[in-house]
Amino acid sequence: MTKKQLIFIKGTKEGLVLRLDDQCSYAELLDELTKKVSDEGFEGQAEVLLHLGYRYCNDEQTKEIISCVQQTEHLRVTKIQSEVMTVEDCNRRLLENQSETYVGIVRSGQVITALGDLVVVGDVNPNGRVVAGGNIFVLGRLKGIAHAGSSGNKDAVIAASWLEATHLIIDSVVETMTDELTVLSEQPEMECAYLHTNGSIAIDRLQDLRLLRPNLSTFKGGS
Amino acid sequence: MGEAIVITSGKGGVGKTTTTANLGTALALQGKKVCLMDTDIGLRNLDVVLGLENRIIYDLVDVIEGRCKIHQALVKDKRFEDRLYLLPAAQTVDKNAVNPEQMKELVLELKREYDYVLIDCPAGIEQGYKNAIAGADKAIVVTTPEISAVRDADRIIGLLEQEETIDPPKLIINRIRQHLMNKGDALDINEITTHLSIDLLGIIADDESVITSSNKGEPIVMNPANRAALGYRNIARRILGESVPLMSMDLPKTGVFTKIKSIFSK
Repeated sequence: MTKKQLIFIKGTKEGLVLRLDDQCSYAELLDELTKKVSDEGFEGQAEVLLHLGYRYCNDEQTKEIISCVQQTEHLRVTKIQSEVMTVEDCNRRLLENQSETYVGIVRSGQVITALGDLVVVGDVNPNGRVVAGGNIFVLGRLKGIAHAGSSGNKDAVIAASWLEATHLIIDSVVETMTDELTVLSEQPEMECAYLHTNGSIAIDRLQDLRLLRPNLSTFKGGS
Repeated sequence: MGEAIVITSGKGGVGKTTTTANLGTALALQGKKVCLMDTDIGLRNLDVVLGLENRIIYDLVDVIEGRCKIHQALVKDKRFEDRLYLLPAAQTVDKNAVNPEQMKELVLELKREYDYVLIDCPAGIEQGYKNAIAGADKAIVVTTPEISAVRDADRIIGLLEQEETIDPPKLIINRIRQHLMNKGDALDINEITTHLSIDLLGIIADDESVITSSNKGEPIVMNPANRAALGYRNIARRILGESVPLMSMDLPKTGVFTKIKSIFSK
């Protein structure tokens, strides 16, 4: 009986595609992979796309597979594709992409946290803190502390109908609203703060946000 | 069943105790049966402001620990027949001597007998504060037109809003000095109310006789000619459900020139 082939190698313009069987056991697959990589006798330098199919691999297993393929110096894994993800990952991704809404006043000492975007309908009073993994939008006066992109998103913005925050934080860049900066924005009405390419936080009119962060708008189409 | 109102502020020295004493007195003057409760255990002074200091026999901690009955600890203010009582705080122990559950029970018992139970809250947001708000149905936040007091009021309002059993708090702005507000040197009433965005229950003018009358142990509200007293009386009427317009803070103008001017401007 011929053994079922577990690994298919296909050459494409971009490099090799290694399609790994997703039904066999993991140990079997790793064995086969080791054999295949050493037997095949590759030449030159090839970039490899690993296709895991419907097999779920955790970080450790993925690393193991990569190191297995890269035993030979001819192959380099550039991308891993998988059709599955865990429920946990999925939920996290949903939370990160969703926009949460808080209606009310964020008062002194209160902290409002969201994994994704955060919309506050109300004021953020001095010493109140709003933290979001994504963007922060305040329909009211932002007079407290706002921390956008808390999970490392440098593109996050803070927009408010009235931007008079004491501290603005984007990613890990902190800006205290000193007199200088307040002078820059003489009229705190309808403004947004973003991370400038020079690495510091800049404040601009809300109307400029469209040009500064074109990806912020998720609205498609229109005439 | 009466209602329990806690009077709090976060910051110290803005006039919680004075407000408690005066509102209690004003409500008693309106014919209600009122019990004032001092929860500032270890630093009591509501008794002093009311002039009842030397009539205390038992205190709040004695009641809670079962050393006496509630009515033995209550001090009657003889000026108001039997409409105004004080439950004094203990002075020898600290705020950890009682817990919120015990306070809730105590307030519930008092509510059965009195129309209003006013709870004087200590400054801060620790154990004493938690004890004071435990049994309350309503809350009054006292602030003054100073940034520091307004910030602390904001904090305390945030904490009170998280209490599901307490109605949204109402605001009293104390110690208003109109000349500073007019010059723009103090926060004005509008600024404070928009910043805190809760209902304004009343405003009290800054008046030296508040201090002198406190020192004598007579709440200012007993002197109907005083401006601060009028403020407290108005607040008491609002608590009773009347709609009373906010009083004007402008001082009556005197002096020859203003009089002449008023003649010509007629």
